[in-house]
Amino acid sequence: MKRIFGLRGVAAAALALSSVAVFSTSIEGSSASAAGSTFVIGTVNSVQKIDPDIVTNFLDFEALGLIYNTLVQENSKLQIVPDLATSWAFSNGNKTLTLQLRQGVKFDDGSTMTSADVVASLTRAQATATADPSASFIGSVTKIAASGPNTVVLTMSHPDVSVLEGLATVNMAIMPAAAITAGTIATTPDGTGPFEYSASVPNTSFTMTANPNYWGGKPALATVELETIPTEQSIAAALEAGTIQMGLLSQPTVVNSIPKSYPQQGVLDLSYRALQLQDKKGVLSNKDARLAIACATNRKQILQDAVFGKGKVVGPVPLGPYASNPVSSICPTQNLTQAKKYLKLAGKPKGFTFTAITSTDLDSTSGAQAIAMQSELAKVGIKMNIQNLASNAYIQDWLKGKFQAAFAENGADPDPYVMYGRYFGAGADLAVPAGYSSASLKSELLAGDENSTAAGQKADWAALSKNLTSNAVWIWLFDSYDYAVMSPTVKGFTLSPVNTTQLSSLANTSVS
Amino acid sequence: MSVYLAVVRRILSMIVTLIGVSIIIFIVLRLLPGNAVQASLGVSEGLLTHAQIAALDKYYGVGQPAVQQYFSWLHATLTGNLGVSLVSRSAVSTLIGTALPVTLELAFFAMLIGVLIGVGFGMWSGLHPGRWQDDLGQGVSVVGLAIPTFILGTLLVVFMASKFHYFPSSLPFVGIATNPWLNFQQIIFPALVLSLGIGAAILRTTRAAVLEVENLNFARTALGKGVSRRAFIWRHLFLNSLTAVLTMSGIQFGYLLGGTVIIEQIFILPGMGRLLITSITNRDFPVVQSVTLIFAAGFVIVNMLVDLCYALIDPRTRKR
Repeated sequence: MKRIFGLRGVAAAALALSSVAVFSTSIEGSSASAAGSTFVIGTVNSVQKIDPDIVTNFLDFEALGLIYNTLVQENSKLQIVPDLATSWAFSNGNKTLTLQLRQGVKFDDGSTMTSADVVASLTRAQATATADPSASFIGSVTKIAASGPNTVVLTMSHPDVSVLEGLATVNMAIMPAAAITAGTIATTPDGTGPFEYSASVPNTSFTMTANPNYWGGKPALATVELETIPTEQSIAAALEAGTIQMGLLSQPTVVNSIPKSYPQQGVLDLSYRALQLQDKKGVLSNKDARLAIACATNRKQILQDAVFGKGKVVGPVPLGPYASNPVSSICPTQNLTQAKKYLKLAGKPKGFTFTAITSTDLDSTSGAQAIAMQSELAKVGIKMNIQNLASNAYIQDWLKGKFQAAFAENGADPDPYVMYGRYFGAGADLAVPAGYSSASLKSELLAGDENSTAAGQKADWAALSKNLTSNAVWIWLFDSYDYAVMSPTVKGFTLSPVNTTQLSSLANTSVS
Repeated sequence: MSVYLAVVRRILSMIVTLIGVSIIIFIVLRLLPGNAVQASLGVSEGLLTHAQIAALDKYYGVGQPAVQQYFSWLHATLTGNLGVSLVSRSAVSTLIGTALPVTLELAFFAMLIGVLIGVGFGMWSGLHPGRWQDDLGQGVSVVGLAIPTFILGTLLVVFMASKFHYFPSSLPFVGIATNPWLNFQQIIFPALVLSLGIGAAILRTTRAAVLEVENLNFARTALGKGVSRRAFIWRHLFLNSLTAVLTMSGIQFGYLLGGTVIIEQIFILPGMGRLLITSITNRDFPVVQSVTLIFAAGFVIVNMLVDLCYALIDPRTRKR
């Protein structure tokens, strides 16, 4: 008996040791063939919906942004540049926008794009039944009309230059009028972008093929697949194994674990972390109490603890031509003496207590942010309780404003009106979670939106940043990096800071 | 005849159990905050008007009364139609039809390896109590029980990828009929990780059973009558220890289904566990209900089969 087990044990051990090497050799053929035909991108998310007018998930935007075009788009410097509209002009006191369309553009179904398609697309986005989450971005538009086959005229109820930013989102994608009428958009994507929809396996993969009729020239990548890999560590492993050619990552620790021979790109994305405050009741309705929090906050320490310092401390406008500088008009860096002075002015010299909600489901760094802030605030006697909620519970409470303070990761935009009009503007959709309103903020937002001169807008938006931070409406914290790590053979890819179109340069990417 | 009656009784009790499970799942899911619309939109829901939200509620069917939702789901399930995913709009039966074979294959290999490890080492340990073979077996069982599968799985994935550039599960999953060799490579490593915990538990049970049976009168009598060592081990010890091993294997199958949820995430296998996690996150209730019901049915069926196997391996139980 002993002899039999002994021999079998040796054989099993030998088999185990050799198996990885044997498998490894055999798998190389498979991965090479996969890499040769399909460019695979690993991501923890999955494409959920394929109707561009209703998507909200970042990866849905990324995928559909490769299939559809919009009238205008944001480039890597966050400037508005042409897409399907080659030029545009405001007139009638910024109440009319006329767009000239690109000619010779074809949809995937072979039909040629005309102004009728643009009118149908924007009308669909505005329709209540569509439930387009970006419909409010063109809420001021009262009339969408064609003026000849290649010209579209938008008429607004009031001067609104920010409408141009609204037209850059994938939620305003241009699709064939015939497909809208036929009701096939939700099942069969049909755009003018560099790639065509090929297949989708729910929660697993989304595949696109190069569009041979793309007006910008046929992409070099024949097939692109977005593969859902549930953990970032597994994405890194798949990249090293050569079974994917690119990984989209957000955790610096995982990025650092990948050998440097794999090119890495990191960009500050168009979002920001903030501690949102409900300023209408309780102790936080006292402006000096809020300013005490602002001055006691050590943003650099929070950045360090949350994302190992891989990011940037930012103010209300994190990126773009109107980025807040300084990041805060009051206490841009931690000032505990000033914090104590504000506490005295608030009538709370020994500090006060409040509760902040986090959701590590929604933002894995929010727990670390909260703990870092808790320890900094304690230095001046402010006690911050932390309540971590499941994602849906957090969303429900956030939407109803059922919190004193909330650690939030919010989407940003180069245009401050697009960012904050929905929180602090007249008739703001998110006024309840914003928790603060003032006539001065409303008028500053309106002034910036109506002003079409660069210098005028810069002054308006600087005043907005100052107003938001001098009243400690919220405490703006930092912006972190998004990463793309790729195989050394990938050429021509540039990760865009615009979260919703980070993969746009795939149209110009090749594999050597 | 008594065996047939027992089978019928078990099937009836299985149906009652599954109906109970379905009601519990249904209630628990409704107690979770949020619905498919909120899970889909996140905070962007705040950007929609009431009319837009009403349009989406209608689209997702979240406005129906809970009782109506339950009975329409139950009716659909009983007629073989598991409904439609709220998120992907795919038929739930299609989603499960793709995911179930992956999980079944994973579970099969994990159980097979676990039983081989557990029974092999358990017999070996039990036959050499207090000696180095026993220490080794006990050591294997402690390691198997102490290391969480998610840590072992992650370590294995990172090690294989960084040292051997090898991670076959990250290739698109292929069925056993399409490419048996690649399929084997994709399944074997997650199955190995899952099997360790199963094997450790079975090992301990087998060792204890062997030690117990070895000291029973009939065993000592058999040895006294001059039965060969090999015949004693396989005919007397092994067969008489099998009842305990079978019981433990049935219990381990329940844990195995839970383990696949984590292992499928780490090894990127598009199985039922991954489908369940994604569907819970998305509040995709029709999928969650059906997947959970299938997990529960699997557990109940395996335990019923274990009970039937008792009758096959132990004649005494047939008379009860």
